[in-house]
Amino acid sequence: MKKNKTMIFLFILPTILTLLITYVYPVIRTVVMSFFKVESLTSTTADWSFYGLSNYGKVLTSTTFLTSMQNMLLIWIVGGIITLALSMLMAVVLTSGIRGAKFFRAAIYMPNIISAVALATMWIQYIFNYDYGLLNNLVTALGLERVKWLGTDAKFWAMMGAFIFGSVGYYMLIFISGIEGIPADLYEAATLDGATKVDQFSKITLPLMKGIIKTTITFWSINATTFFLWSKMFSPIDTEASTIVPVIYLYDMVFGGKGVSVRDAGAGAAVGVLLTLIIIAIYAVMNLLLKDSDLEY
Amino acid sequence: MKKIIALLLALVMVLGLAACGGTETTETTEAAAGTEAAAGTEAAAGTEAAAAANYDGVELTMWSMWSSGEPQATVIEEAAAAFGEATGATVNVEFKGRELNQILTASLEAGEKIDIFEDDQSRISQVYVDYTADLTEMAEAAGYVGYPALNDRVVELAGYLNSIVEQPQVGGIFYDKDAFAAAGIESEPTTWAEFLEVCQQLKDAGIAPLALDTAYTNFTFYYHLVRHLGEDGVKELALNGGWSDSEGAVAAAQEIADLVSAGYLVEGAPDEYPSSQNKIGMGQAAMIVLANYVTAEVNSTMGVEINWGLFNYPAVDGGADNTCIYGGANSLAVSSYSENQQAAFDFIMFLTTGEWDQKMADTAAQIPADPSNVCNSLPGAIETLSAGENLMSWCDSINANPDLMSSFKTLTAELYEGKITTGADFCAAMDALY
Amino acid sequence: MRINWKKEAKFLPGYLIVGIWVLFTAVMIGWIFSASLSTSREIFTGTVLQFKSGIHFENYATAWNNQNVSVFFGNSLLYSTISCFGVLAVAAPAAYVLSRWNFAGSKTLRLGLVIAMSVPTIMIIMPLYSLTVAWGLKGRIVLILLYIMLRVPYTAIYLLDFFGTLSRSYEEAAYLDGCSPSNTFVKIMLPLVQPAVITVTIFNFLSVWNEFFMALIFTSSESMTPVGVGLLQIINAMKYTGNYGGLFAAVIIVFLPTFLLYIFMSEKIIAGVTGGGVKG
Repeated sequence: MKKNKTMIFLFILPTILTLLITYVYPVIRTVVMSFFKVESLTSTTADWSFYGLSNYGKVLTSTTFLTSMQNMLLIWIVGGIITLALSMLMAVVLTSGIRGAKFFRAAIYMPNIISAVALATMWIQYIFNYDYGLLNNLVTALGLERVKWLGTDAKFWAMMGAFIFGSVGYYMLIFISGIEGIPADLYEAATLDGATKVDQFSKITLPLMKGIIKTTITFWSINATTFFLWSKMFSPIDTEASTIVPVIYLYDMVFGGKGVSVRDAGAGAAVGVLLTLIIIAIYAVMNLLLKDSDLEY
Repeated sequence: MKKIIALLLALVMVLGLAACGGTETTETTEAAAGTEAAAGTEAAAGTEAAAAANYDGVELTMWSMWSSGEPQATVIEEAAAAFGEATGATVNVEFKGRELNQILTASLEAGEKIDIFEDDQSRISQVYVDYTADLTEMAEAAGYVGYPALNDRVVELAGYLNSIVEQPQVGGIFYDKDAFAAAGIESEPTTWAEFLEVCQQLKDAGIAPLALDTAYTNFTFYYHLVRHLGEDGVKELALNGGWSDSEGAVAAAQEIADLVSAGYLVEGAPDEYPSSQNKIGMGQAAMIVLANYVTAEVNSTMGVEINWGLFNYPAVDGGADNTCIYGGANSLAVSSYSENQQAAFDFIMFLTTGEWDQKMADTAAQIPADPSNVCNSLPGAIETLSAGENLMSWCDSINANPDLMSSFKTLTAELYEGKITTGADFCAAMDALY
Repeated sequence: MRINWKKEAKFLPGYLIVGIWVLFTAVMIGWIFSASLSTSREIFTGTVLQFKSGIHFENYATAWNNQNVSVFFGNSLLYSTISCFGVLAVAAPAAYVLSRWNFAGSKTLRLGLVIAMSVPTIMIIMPLYSLTVAWGLKGRIVLILLYIMLRVPYTAIYLLDFFGTLSRSYEEAAYLDGCSPSNTFVKIMLPLVQPAVITVTIFNFLSVWNEFFMALIFTSSESMTPVGVGLLQIINAMKYTGNYGGLFAAVIIVFLPTFLLYIFMSEKIIAGVTGGGVKG
């Protein structure tokens, strides 16, 4: 097919402008700032003084930052595996031809349409409540001791569980639209050839959904690295080490959380740069592992 | 145009009053109605400057930390309307809610139109100090006194008076007097040993001694730590480490560990706010270490009228500071770039002294900002704050090392959970953070 | 229709998996709903489902009157609708072009979109904020523009994959019929990815509807506040005044319209996904 240069240019121009204004400018400013001693985020460049890599040094030796990174990695890896596996499972079940698939799909996706503020409130005030919460009612019904779901031991996992519950529906929808994009006659042919459901899944569904899986992993990585509101909701008054994540760390440092009197926008910028680098690294690795398949069917 | 605005504001006031009628006591409503009638002439009684001034055409923007619908917000709106009638100024109040402190810095830095803003006193004097006007002269001219101890702290931190107290707070151990009576406890404990005895008596009577929510474990332990080391001592440790070598720190953590292992915390504590504090309202727990707002919160959430008492945190053996009491405030500041600083200051005075302050104190069940008013929700609070020469901050010494804050929070939670069982372990865990 | 039990039995594990999940959701929403009709005391003493003191519909009145909920809804509707169309207008053409042709800078642009999407919003909001202040931009238009621009990378990347699955034979046929490239895009290619467009629009709509942080920073008055921020303000007001029944009522009030809308839209997805022209 012929390339039409004018059309290509006109089609991508608005997107390029968007990227320049909303991303390139702020990101460059932030990257530059990470090498300067800057107290206030909106101070003019005249007030910045060159600081070399000291911001990065400060951040990387901070125990709080390292704890937050550890939490983030747990959310990314453990939470990611659980979320994507559950979403794929739900998607496969719902496209297998069971009755009421439309209803289940709507119901499973539902947590996503509730604002995170409301959803977190439901989990904290009801599901995890020590005295009358749903989980402890189940636990006592089984004759076991009540669990402090929001104690220091379990809080992080409680937060992750609630987050996963809210996320599954979203990835499930993406998987479903992927599976349904696969021509049904491929499955029909496979069934005629006597392939089992599991065979069909591993031989047809997974390979054809490479692109979609890559997209979902990228989305999840972004969600995990920019995780913010849930952590805030689970430690409502002050930031707690058990639920802290890098964005919260950055936030407290740049904006001054409750009780923070020393602000350091330069170090905050360094955290932002590190997070962005991590995501870029993940994306690069994904590209190597799951090469774009030019399958046409 | 102004008339229309005034009419609208009056309408808002009336609607606000009508809305109050259902929940507030009739007493409050009557007081409010009286105020409305007298607004034009009498309202400025507390502030001569405001009465004399004519601010026709002046428009003030106030960013408030309350959300519309909260009693404080209702009072502020009414006061703004009354101030408008008395002086001709228009006060636009934006209710930003508690999230205000997450955007205030950015907004001030960006030069957003804000004349008056509201936040915690120590944040105003530390975080926003570059954007606050010096109120010293205006305060002197208006004859403002307030609570000297609170104002002195502002001057010490900010270098000048940059905020006016709006909602003073006082902290200590709040308790249910009826629970104490039921357990046969006759006097408030003054030492740690007496306090433990009281705990045991309560426990024997079948009432859990202490309620505690995770949100406040850091404050609760901070109080104990300050008793042993003083705020300066704690700051020293926070900045330089060496917790294990500090006898006071080890002893403080050990005493708390013992308190926990003796079973003096209510079941589930430390719990998720506000589950544990509500247990006082259910008669399951008797005491809590917190600031005065806990009384109103528990009362309204649980729909009860607890017979609240307050005593100072008990003295410890060999403590460096056995008398300090938590005192703090939500305060009002004027932005340094405001074009109407005097008008803004006059409105602050209008709101925080005299009649409107009394109304705020009664409606929101808090301590009046004007010591010449009456504190109905917690008798004695005004005297405590006025006399308080030795006030403790809300964890400022720990917060002096921002890298420590979140870990301190989690470690204190583990201490109260009973997960950390000795003072030495707690201090070792703190030292591991440096 | 007769039920083929043998066939259904094969699906039993599947029914169990989604059934338990949905039951859990239902119990949670159900409890929130009954809590919204109870008093705070009943909530904290764990006697929510018993309605001993009657059913407290007044919680809804309190939550509704507490702040101008209808204004919040109106704002959210305005922001979400306009930005959904705006995002599509900007992102869909770019996604189409990127999925079809390799040209100078196409790889960079693709990578740029992914990187853009991965930058923590918090990092770009502040420089943008000072920018809008420096240029004197204010009000709803700023917020809508930002919503559009910040959703572009996500939307473009999402649509890329779907344009990529379309066969090139469509364009070839259109070209032979003398259809101009931009006409081909609007009349043929865009309708072919309609399911993806609907899905991504729903995602965009909901994320703008529930958006919190930017709305907090870029709206300086309550008349511009959307639902996300409004809800937290109501929740906080209820929390600090101890009205937990009202708190949960506010949650339900805010949740209901999006839920109804979603049920309606989800039907569209299902019809669209299976009826597309992808088979070949």
